Amino acid sequence: MDPSNKATPLTIPGAKGIAGSSGMGQPMSSSYENQWMLGDDKKHERRKSSTVDSNKENKDASSQPNASVQPPARKSQKSMTKAERRALQEQQKLEKERRVAAGLPKNAKKAAELLAKTGGGSSVKSGSPLSVAGTPDNTTASVGKSVTSPDPAAAAKKAAKKSAGATSTAKSQKNQVPWLLHLDASKRPDTMGFKDLHPAVKTLALYFSEYKIVGSNARCVAMLQTFSKVIEEHKPPADATFSRHIQKHLDPHIAYLLATRPMSLSMRECIRWLKKEMADIVEEDPPLSDEDARHRLMNRIEHFIRERITMADQLIVQNGLQKINDGEVILTFGKSSVVESLLLATKKKGINFKVIVVDSRPLFEGKHLLRRLAAAGIDCSYHLLSSVYVALSSVTKVIMGAHALLNNGAVYSRTGTSMVAMAASDKQIPVMICCETYKFVNRTQVDSFVMNEIGNPDDLVNTKPMFNSIHQNHPNPTGSALENWREQPNLRILNLMYDVTPSKFITLVVTEVGLIPCTSAPVIWREYNEEFGKRG
Amino acid sequence: MLTRQVESSVENFISRLKRRQVVGSYEVAKETAVILRQVVSTSRWRDVDTLLETITDVGSRMAAAQPKELAVGNIVRRVLKVIREVARGELETDVLDDSGNNFSDNSDDAGDDDEFDSDDGVFHVEGATPSSTGSPLRTPIHARPTLLSSNASSNMGSVSGNDLNALATQSTMFHLLADAHKLKDSPTEYNVYNLKPLIIQEINEEIIAELESVYKGIADQASDYIHANEVIMTIGKSRTVEDFLIRAAKTRKFQVIVAETSPTYQGHEMAANLSAAGIETIVMVDSAIFAAMPRVNKVVLGAHAVLANGGLVAVTGSHLIAAAAKHHSTPVLVCTALYKLSPLFAYDVDTFNITVAPNSIMDFQDGAIIDKVTLCNPYYDYVTPELVSLFVHNLGSAPPTYVYRLINDNYDPEDTTL
Repeated sequence: MDPSNKATPLTIPGAKGIAGSSGMGQPMSSSYENQWMLGDDKKHERRKSSTVDSNKENKDASSQPNASVQPPARKSQKSMTKAERRALQEQQKLEKERRVAAGLPKNAKKAAELLAKTGGGSSVKSGSPLSVAGTPDNTTASVGKSVTSPDPAAAAKKAAKKSAGATSTAKSQKNQVPWLLHLDASKRPDTMGFKDLHPAVKTLALYFSEYKIVGSNARCVAMLQTFSKVIEEHKPPADATFSRHIQKHLDPHIAYLLATRPMSLSMRECIRWLKKEMADIVEEDPPLSDEDARHRLMNRIEHFIRERITMADQLIVQNGLQKINDGEVILTFGKSSVVESLLLATKKKGINFKVIVVDSRPLFEGKHLLRRLAAAGIDCSYHLLSSVYVALSSVTKVIMGAHALLNNGAVYSRTGTSMVAMAASDKQIPVMICCETYKFVNRTQVDSFVMNEIGNPDDLVNTKPMFNSIHQNHPNPTGSALENWREQPNLRILNLMYDVTPSKFITLVVTEVGLIPCTSAPVIWREYNEEFGKRG
Repeated sequence: MLTRQVESSVENFISRLKRRQVVGSYEVAKETAVILRQVVSTSRWRDVDTLLETITDVGSRMAAAQPKELAVGNIVRRVLKVIREVARGELETDVLDDSGNNFSDNSDDAGDDDEFDSDDGVFHVEGATPSSTGSPLRTPIHARPTLLSSNASSNMGSVSGNDLNALATQSTMFHLLADAHKLKDSPTEYNVYNLKPLIIQEINEEIIAELESVYKGIADQASDYIHANEVIMTIGKSRTVEDFLIRAAKTRKFQVIVAETSPTYQGHEMAANLSAAGIETIVMVDSAIFAAMPRVNKVVLGAHAVLANGGLVAVTGSHLIAAAAKHHSTPVLVCTALYKLSPLFAYDVDTFNITVAPNSIMDFQDGAIIDKVTLCNPYYDYVTPELVSLFVHNLGSAPPTYVYRLINDNYDPEDTTL
């Protein structure tokens, strides 16, 4: 893609008008409109690698900086009048068309995700600032303002290119790693279908997609609290009782969250638990009143959060404290909230120990952990994953967190955990995993591919240019060697988020019920689920 | 003993080594060879010993300038070995000289030097011998190969008689050297005049020319190691590996996964080059190496240096790849040229490691914590010999257990400590 395309914004008046007038309900057809109206010659400008993959269009995404900030400003749909709601919907439709024409994904969240993620990286190229606009009304105007070099032909060409690519999901898989085609890199949620989403859920989805809330516990807690709010404010239609309707009401919200970022395994467990609770309420005899059902559900959620997450963390810290002694050197990977609490508690207890934080791209979560630990006065050092063997020369224990614990005792956690565990076990260093019991899932996978999450491949492209020595030749300051990776038909980028650590590398799992070997995971799971059965 | 001009260029090189302005085995090796050739040609020496001393002196200074750049020491040792051999060849023809066939014998021996020196991996050479003589010598004995070559065939008769004698005397090298010293007196001046051009020619052909042909030698073996529809994993940016894979891609269709090698991100360039050459490439974070390993059929690595025990000094992250490959029983090939072979041992995993500036892992924007934490940014990694399956070098291939023999072929034991 030549630079001119990147700077061009999305003023495609023809397409917009046409798209606006045709069947607005189906996003697909509007992009067909673009394709048809703009002529066939534009179509074969379409590069092989033009894909529907949402993250490709970061270049023109930055020229439309304002689409992203729309959600926070949206008023709650319940408080708007009907006319206002209609105006809002029209506005959203227009924006969606604009986005589609520009090649952004239809979902505002995804567009925001693109902009947020790639605004920094491609800011040099695009030149248009990632300005902050207030209301949706400003969006149109500021898009107009951000037109730096309106080039209708190029824009139209691009639109044809992108929208043609947008039509078929098959194309999205061109730039995807072939053996990971079964994983969804990016779905295209139909916002039009979700008419009555609670704005809190939309906000949450936005946070997820921008990686503002990361980490298993954080996401679960945020999700449960959001659902609690939804339940609180939900008014069932006149013909249904609360208890029967709440499940149906929550389903589209769950689907929406799934669409923005695939659910973590622990989140699925929570949702499974929540659905069970809701089903239990329905079966209550005599049937509960609406208010009672609502309160009960909210109480249950609160109870779950408190008991199985918050207090579980405290118990894990207590259990783990007995394992850290004076003079130890602890190595940890990434950022786990439980491990952080454990290390801080250990410091508070007065034990003299050192911490080595190992970090990896592209999220660099370890830096946040490092900050907190350094602030608490712990003696820390910081390594990247590639130098973990150098770090391991002085380590006595490795403590890591987990995203989920599988039925065969394997740990499903951030990519890189398996490497640290492998390296440590090769050196006979014990590996401890801190994991709450709600993360125990009733499924197994034997390799890291059958179920995983693929992150944004463009996260890997942007590397910081480095100037320090000849040893580290920095790529040219404007971009990295992989800038135009999508144009290379043979080049793919893989940003795997999770991996599976085989149980043979793990010495011990610290849970709130005690210190267990990782192969006992299914036993614990059954205990808890039987308990639910009894309770329900 | 060095001329001023050569001395200044040596100083220049040393200071650039110290400041890390010249970096990378290939560059360093080339410059070292050129400088040593200058030393040989411009310095004044009347006998071989003086020359050896001079070279050792210059060489140890250069090697000390940057001890982790093992290529410097390797080339110095090579040159020393070349000198000794040429001198031995010279002297022995004097010893055997009956009929005054000096010139032909000299050329013979010079030719023999070529054959001998380039037949290091004579066991494993499948076909490609970059040796200029091209004689198919496959003697398993490590003695000087028989002189009944095409060169010798031209000089029949008396020469063959000489050859057999030569073979007998050469089989004990050290004795020869000891004897040669005593015999040096009379033909001293004569030797110097002859030796100098010979040595320079040797250095040119042997060392400098070999440096050029290294990539070709390794790439030629590429299709022997890669089959169709393979998935190969590699890390870092190594021109050797790149040439290897691109050559293989001409005859085989396979995929390559490149680990991006943080914090230098050399993997990105490698991937860009490979995909531009038409190979299906996937770039991946280092942390996904273990996750992706079940999918991989072979791992191909480049090396910064190969140590005497078969261990490897390579870019950081290589140990991770090699260990993950071991866990999945995936073979690990290391593409390395012979000039990277060093007779030194690593008594500690970090002996040959260097750390570079940490701002690539945490820059000043994270300023608040910089004072409170220790940052470590090592550039190299040490890979134990147990993790490597095979070294592919420009004269063939060798398992890690054979490396010590290659070292014997290329270097003299007395040069190990310069």
